[in-house]
Amino acid sequence: MKELSVKELARRVGHLAVSLFILLCVTFVIGRILPADPVGAIVGELADPAAYAAMRQKLGLDLPIYQQFLIYLNGLAHGDFGTAVLTGNPVSSDLAQAFPATFELATLAILISTFVGVPLGLTAALFRDTFIDKIARIVALVGHSIPVFWFGIVGLVIFYAGLNWVGGPGRVDVFYEGMVTPQTGLLLVDSLLQGETEIFWNALGHIILPAVILAYAAMAYITRMTRSFTLEQLSQDYVIAARAKGVGPARTVIGHVLPNIAVQLITILAISYGGLLEGAVVTEIVFSWPGIGQYMTNALMIGDMNAVVAATIIIGFIFMFLNFLADIAYAIFDPRTREAAQ
Amino acid sequence: MLKLDQAAAANLKRVGYTKDNIDQLVKAVDDKTVRIDLSGEVTSELLLYRLAMVIASVVDSVEVQKHVANDDYGNAWLRTHSAGSGPFTLNRWAPNELVILEANKNYVAGAPKMRRVIVRHVPESQVERLMLERGDIDIASAMTASDLATFDNKKGFEIQRVPTGGFYVLSMNAGNKYLSNPKVREAIAYGIDYKGIEKTIMGPYGRARTVPVPENFEYAIPSPDWHLDVAKAKELLAEAGFKDGFTLSLKTIAQTPRIDLATAIQASLGQIGIKVDIQQGNGSDIIAAHRARNFDLLIPQTGAYMPNVLGAMEQFASNPDNSLEANNAGNFVWRSAWDIPELTALTAKASLEADPKKRGEIYVDMQKMFVDQKPAVLPMFERFEPIVLNDKVQGYVGHPNQTTRLEGVTKAETD
Repeated sequence: MKELSVKELARRVGHLAVSLFILLCVTFVIGRILPADPVGAIVGELADPAAYAAMRQKLGLDLPIYQQFLIYLNGLAHGDFGTAVLTGNPVSSDLAQAFPATFELATLAILISTFVGVPLGLTAALFRDTFIDKIARIVALVGHSIPVFWFGIVGLVIFYAGLNWVGGPGRVDVFYEGMVTPQTGLLLVDSLLQGETEIFWNALGHIILPAVILAYAAMAYITRMTRSFTLEQLSQDYVIAARAKGVGPARTVIGHVLPNIAVQLITILAISYGGLLEGAVVTEIVFSWPGIGQYMTNALMIGDMNAVVAATIIIGFIFMFLNFLADIAYAIFDPRTREAAQ
Repeated sequence: MLKLDQAAAANLKRVGYTKDNIDQLVKAVDDKTVRIDLSGEVTSELLLYRLAMVIASVVDSVEVQKHVANDDYGNAWLRTHSAGSGPFTLNRWAPNELVILEANKNYVAGAPKMRRVIVRHVPESQVERLMLERGDIDIASAMTASDLATFDNKKGFEIQRVPTGGFYVLSMNAGNKYLSNPKVREAIAYGIDYKGIEKTIMGPYGRARTVPVPENFEYAIPSPDWHLDVAKAKELLAEAGFKDGFTLSLKTIAQTPRIDLATAIQASLGQIGIKVDIQQGNGSDIIAAHRARNFDLLIPQTGAYMPNVLGAMEQFASNPDNSLEANNAGNFVWRSAWDIPELTALTAKASLEADPKKRGEIYVDMQKMFVDQKPAVLPMFERFEPIVLNDKVQGYVGHPNQTTRLEGVTKAETD
């Protein structure tokens, strides 16, 4: 089994690497043939042709695409994603700043959506076509169909401007900006590590609304899928047998159905988490959240392809890595896979 | 900047300062005095205006030299640090996110009153409005017209309409077979409803004005009588030999208010028989098309680099070599392929005229000549940048080039 597993693992890692390389090629080529003008963004609209040409040469944009690609690959092999036009910083350092903001938001959102969405889906299935089920379905439908942008603005109008329950846009009040030295980049963690509890509570007040709004959209999907998986299982013979033996509905669902839908649920959660981690662009813009989604959008607007390609690769990697983890979890949680391997 | 041949150096190169002569022309006389000699291609007044564009600053050379890497004169370090002697020092700079300035206690005129100034990037206008209403920010800029309107006569807030000295312009490509004809350009000037657009679209962003000098500047002439006159415009098109009309594309950045402006121009030019196809894009697409003369009509915006008639007019009235080979894409008029040798010669003459009165008279003549030649760079609206301030803020006066002095600004602590 061990030998097989290692071989299988190597095959999957190989797939991951090939997919990433294809993603890199496609993004790079699209980035270079887009009619965007990063040189203009740097030198300014009124720059003379000599300054324009000098900057174009400095960025290597006068070279054929294949040469630019080889230079880029060489840099990448040395951990160099190039320099971002907008910030003038190495792209890797920009991403290292932006990613933790997105990671913190997405992680909180997936936790909320999982701990609300899964129980809601299970309950809705268990009480199918009752009042509870209808409420759960409406909640899921609303979360799925109303744009996050609208929820964001309305949430800010009610909970920030109206009721003053939550903090406003940004990760923390302007007063506290710059007071916590980034260690992990996760403001909630760093503020606690540095004993800044006041800043921790302030940051929590700022993250809660965007996290809940993001979580709601993800929760809608998780609830619908959990309900659907559960309903499918409830008609199976083993459930009927359990119920005939006198097992209560709650114990049937928790003890028998949940382990059987765990594998599918893990896949759904991995996809949802991946979607959240790729930077919820709209949420980040509405909440002035300095994450990877906003970074990439700003870069795209001025044709800063080093930043766009690097961010795309990171996002692609996260997505593939989460799928990879889901596959591994599949093998762990599904006894049939284990037995087949043995 | 000159030695690194950076883009901003072009402003000084244009008037004779180069990497070869800069060491001779700029010297630190003593600890508190910097001397800049004239290059011979610019008057002292105009050089001071150019320096005030914040293209160059005096820095602490000892401090900066500690951070030189790869012969960059400390340029990389200065991206995120400051080493000047101004009222504030840079604490943090995160592009598109945040700038934090701290009061410089050693400032020569005494420490500024505000201990800290924070500039935060808020991409969404409605959110900016909420933050201002809540008191989480004190000053908001770049809001949409509808969000701005909510602060009209609202207690506790003040709207400042900061003049930029620049314009929203209709650039016409004079290399186009229709637009090369001055009668067609005049027909277009008569085919725009300036007053209607000012009222319904521009609002606080612009004021109708068809001469490239803001009307309150000294030596500005009144706007010509260009207004929406469908009959007159059709007559001009017929005289030009195009009585059945034709089709043109109109490129614009998809931004308020330019996108609405494009739609209004499309509608009114439609009335005179010119069918307009609007092509929207982001900044880099549209600017690249403009620089490459790849457009029929395009709506750029300008800013005056000096708050006077010369600063406003120069970019509309100078095109030393209109040939395609000159590739002078940095020149606003060249992009429209509009050949104006007489205006160009007058611009050069005016910029070397030391007597302000004589210079002003030249600019009056230039504005008249500009109108007579039926410009391919048609100013339509004088451009303003409206900002909203919480009235606890005192002493803030928005600057046309966003270089507002902050040391005298104060903020009341309580209501």
